[in-house]
Amino acid sequence: MQHIKPAMLDRELKKGSAELLILSLVEDQPRHGYDLSKLIEARSGGVLKFRVASLYPLLYRLEKRGWIQGRWIEKAGRRRRRYYRLTPAGEQVLKSQRNTWREFADAINRVAGVEPA
Amino acid sequence: MPWRNLPEEIAHHLQDLYDDLRARGATDDEARRAVADELEDATFGARPMADLRGDLRYAFRTLRKHPGFAVVVMLTLALGIGANAAIFSVVNAVVLRPLPYDRDGRLVAVWGNLHKPGLEEIPGSAAEFVDYKTRNRVFDAMAAYDTIGVNLTGSAQPERVPGAVTTASLFSMLGESAALGRTFIAADEQPGRNHVAIISHGLWRRRFAGDPDVVGRTMTVDGTNVEIVGVMRAGFPFPGEEAELWQPLAFGAEDVAEDQRGSHSYTIIGRLKPGVTVSQASAEMKALGEQMGAEHRGTYRSGFSASVRPLHDELVGNVGPALFVLLASVGVVLVIACANVANLLLARAAARQKEMAIRAALGAGRMRIVRQLLTESVLLGLCGGALGLLLAMWGVPGLVALAPASIPRLNEIGVDGRVVVLTSIVSMFTGVLFGLVPALHASKHDVHETLKDGARSTSDSGARGRVRRALVVSEIALSLVLLIAAGLLINSFARVQDVAPGFRADHVLTARLALPASKYTTLEQAQRFAGELFARLAASHSVVAAGAINAVPFSGRGGDRSFFIERRPVAPGEPSPDEQVRFATAGYFAAMQIPILRGREFTDRDVDTAPHVAVVNDAFARKYWPKEDAIGKRVQFQQETTNRYEIIGIAGNVKHRALDVTEKPELYVPIFQPLFEGFRMPAIDLIVRTAGDPASFAPALRETIAALDPDQPISDVRTLDERIGQSLASRRFDMLLLGLFAALALVLAAVGIYGVVAYTVTERTHEIGVRLALGARPRDVLAMLVGQGMRLAVAGAAIGIGLAVTLTRAMSGLLFGVSATDPATFAAITGVLALVALVACYVPARRATGVNPVTALRSE
Repeated sequence: MQHIKPAMLDRELKKGSAELLILSLVEDQPRHGYDLSKLIEARSGGVLKFRVASLYPLLYRLEKRGWIQGRWIEKAGRRRRRYYRLTPAGEQVLKSQRNTWREFADAINRVAGVEPA
Repeated sequence: MPWRNLPEEIAHHLQDLYDDLRARGATDDEARRAVADELEDATFGARPMADLRGDLRYAFRTLRKHPGFAVVVMLTLALGIGANAAIFSVVNAVVLRPLPYDRDGRLVAVWGNLHKPGLEEIPGSAAEFVDYKTRNRVFDAMAAYDTIGVNLTGSAQPERVPGAVTTASLFSMLGESAALGRTFIAADEQPGRNHVAIISHGLWRRRFAGDPDVVGRTMTVDGTNVEIVGVMRAGFPFPGEEAELWQPLAFGAEDVAEDQRGSHSYTIIGRLKPGVTVSQASAEMKALGEQMGAEHRGTYRSGFSASVRPLHDELVGNVGPALFVLLASVGVVLVIACANVANLLLARAAARQKEMAIRAALGAGRMRIVRQLLTESVLLGLCGGALGLLLAMWGVPGLVALAPASIPRLNEIGVDGRVVVLTSIVSMFTGVLFGLVPALHASKHDVHETLKDGARSTSDSGARGRVRRALVVSEIALSLVLLIAAGLLINSFARVQDVAPGFRADHVLTARLALPASKYTTLEQAQRFAGELFARLAASHSVVAAGAINAVPFSGRGGDRSFFIERRPVAPGEPSPDEQVRFATAGYFAAMQIPILRGREFTDRDVDTAPHVAVVNDAFARKYWPKEDAIGKRVQFQQETTNRYEIIGIAGNVKHRALDVTEKPELYVPIFQPLFEGFRMPAIDLIVRTAGDPASFAPALRETIAALDPDQPISDVRTLDERIGQSLASRRFDMLLLGLFAALALVLAAVGIYGVVAYTVTERTHEIGVRLALGARPRDVLAMLVGQGMRLAVAGAAIGIGLAVTLTRAMSGLLFGVSATDPATFAAITGVLALVALVACYVPARRATGVNPVTALRSE
């Protein structure tokens, strides 16, 4: 296995987990950016917080890879918003990422001796 | 590209956050702070702008996204910068660059001053040259030379070529050695050993087929055999680019004798010793000249002194003014181009307001945004400059082809390193110039206001509109100044062209004929040759009339001579009268169709044995006999002589040097009535008035002469019309270029005014829709919009006229027959500008009247 520097590992980990978070949140319904940032913050109890500066570049990266798709939607009396939904390709990725994450987390737990949640 | 959505999404995000917080009871202040916190550590906005490379990448991307905008801006700038680069390359080569043979600017010309009007700057005599050379302490070398024309005969066709006689020192002073053989050595300056010559590269190739063994061969120069000792490099340009042959100047004892001290026929140049300045040399030579004046009072009756002037100034001194007018006018064109581009950027800034606001919201400081925008405009400037440089490279050869021969160093003109460097600097500066105001404006925003305003682009703010209008007004003012300047030149040109030269120029062929002294030693021999030649020409049915004179009008030749009027003695110490004196053959006036106002012209009977006669022109007669009849009066050329010339005719005045110069008094003498013992026929211009096309008679003229003397060449074969045309060449050049630049300025100004009106129409579509819906007639809308544009035009025109009144005075030296503030020109040009402005307003305004009220209102 390739040697990975700690800083790089940390970055990859975060990036990987961030992608997983976004993909999971748009899995069952399309959401817009502000909604996503609120959900992440709320569901993580404030531990995870995405600022605009990292959220939107991430969304665009995912869109560019064809995993999610954004669309402007206007609702009467509201500002138009860009909603992101999961694409079939995104579903595949989400599935595999979930598996990877689970295996990874299990492995860490086993090695570090942390009790499974 | 999803990135395109970034501004709006972030704007909404921030707005959502704000609204959420407010809804949950936060105060406006708290909510705003929270929004700011959200952005606090947002670094991605700043990251691409963190360095110049980032800025550049971003600028490239922005421009690529708006190719139309980028192309229009670059083309506008390319025209402005290209015109500047082209004219600068001319100024650079002609005026600024040191002479190729005088890199350190140490060469100066030495002029004598006889302290008489018109004789303050004269060439030197052999004796003076020797004095200067032996007694000065400021030059490390000096040379004297004179330009000559010689006949080459022998193996090939006879040919007349220009050249110079020069002291041996000349070549080493210029830092030149021969490409083949050698230049002159001191031994060549000995009388009797001076039968050597150096030939030009062109002559070597043409007459000797580039023979590598040409050194040592002999050639026949003016009937004398001389040995070729050297060949110069191609393009050796001294004394002029046309010089093809150099012979050594051998001063004999008689040349430096006291009685020859007054024959000032040599140009004298010196090379300053290292460290000596021009003014030091001038002071020294003045003192030396005064000393010489005191020593030779007999020769220098009114005193004597000398002065020096850098050779560079000597050569390019008088072309400066016109070139700098052109340089100033291309500068103005560039400023107008900048104003136009600034206007475009301002219009775009309105559309980019949102982008800027988000940048600011993401933590970019104002200077940061200004820097980014300036990077964009400098990039545009540099791209425009590169295009402009290409334009200049392509245009300069055309410019050179168009340029009059009177501009020196034409062959040196080209786009060189200096032009490229200057153009790059100008391009960058241009980028800052047109980019700064829009950038400052674009960066001035209330972030929250703009973000709150939603997605719709906001309207042209008051300040920005004012700047845009001010720019258009200045564009119009500046282009009016250029147009008026061009108008004045065009007007002058038309008037010059209408000037009657005093003779009929059509159907006349002229050619230079110089009979060499070695073969035609006496006046009688020359007279026989000329008599036979004119008899043969008269027999040709294509010749209407023929004659000759030593200096035909518009040849640049001719000179003055002092004379005395019988019974009008000149007091000792007083200068004798001095006028243009010409030597003409019988039939000269008839061939030129110069009217004889009274009396008669010369005939074949006016020879040496007959009473000597003269013809004067009207100006001469009026100057010397304002109240009497000049006919019957007599003039002489020495104080003590019986050789008097009786005036037998008064001819009309003719323009001699140029159409825009007043006629000078002229005194004509029959060429075969010698002024003094040993007088030889000077070189003459043959004048042949033909029935058909004069140019096509040239071969026949050559054959006629060859039949009389196969060794006799003719040169400078040109029609009179061509000569007059060439005298107008520099005027035509200035007029064409200034006209071109003015037209360019007009187009740019029209685009500018069009832009403002078109932009207003787009901005106010909704308002226009409302007006139309409320019953306004399209005509009213049209009048409103056109009126708005025309107000700018009127303001610009008023300022432009004011500027022009002050500025065109600077070019009064280039005008003829019109004053620098000619009301007719001002009025006509202003009218043209107004018309163009009207069209530029009307076209976009017309579009507005087609607005469908329903669509316009629905778009809200």
